[in-house]
Amino acid sequence: MSVEAVQDALAAEHAAVWTYGLVSAFVDQQAAAVADGATAHRARRDTTERWLRDKGAQPKPPAPAYLPPQPVDSAASAIAALIAVETDACVAWRGVVERTDDQELRKSALDALTTSAIRATRWRKTAGITPLSIALPGTADG
Amino acid sequence: MLLAAATAPLAVACTTPPPAPPPRDPLADLVEAARADAALATAAGAPETAAARTRHADKLQAEVDRATPKVPGTSPSPTPAPTSSPAPPANPTREALITALQAAQKQAGDLATTVPTHRAGLVASVSAGCASLLEALS
Repeated sequence: MSVEAVQDALAAEHAAVWTYGLVSAFVDQQAAAVADGATAHRARRDTTERWLRDKGAQPKPPAPAYLPPQPVDSAASAIAALIAVETDACVAWRGVVERTDDQELRKSALDALTTSAIRATRWRKTAGITPLSIALPGTADG
Repeated sequence: MLLAAATAPLAVACTTPPPAPPPRDPLADLVEAARADAALATAAGAPETAAARTRHADKLQAEVDRATPKVPGTSPSPTPAPTSSPAPPANPTREALITALQAAQKQAGDLATTVPTHRAGLVASVSAGCASLLEALS
């Protein structure tokens, strides 16, 4: 049960890594923050793959491409795509938290949920979306 | 013989005094912290934080109520009505609010690793929500 949830979280991390790469050309002003996010998601992807292999599972490969909520052709649509992948990651990692009794896995899933929530909030601030914060990250209604 | 064996524990159960009140729900502490933060945020002029912490308190209280065993003949859980506000915060500054949110993030985060799975998602979202509120205030 937790392996399946972790595979879903891995899929969210693959999508995040891909999207951070996609938007980099459109966000000159935010280049450093984008690079930070890309690095964080690559690291999370790698540790998640390792966890799955340790459990004898085959990590799901990334999809060839991912569909952003709207075509990315500007800074605004690029930020919207980042908010979307961070929000999706929150949902996926909360799914791991509530499907495992393994304290270590819960702790790392909570960390992933928390850092994605913080990054989503940062991008919401950049885009001027209110409320800036997400009251309950990982739930459908935030 | 079988019947006697089966009914004996029942007879005992009927004559024992009513059970002691259930132990305090660990989520009740999170409810209290969330309500106190909401009051502090309101006093500190941070309505978004106040609204979010009120939502936390309501969601957590709903889970506490759901899990509280209903004992017939006794009044429902002795928790105060959600409308009653705690004592006004002594030091309603932005700094005090940030300190309180940091503590709340940790409090819920620590609990999120130990509560049963059906509560872990909510408690983890409350912790991550406090992290989001801190980022929004930064």
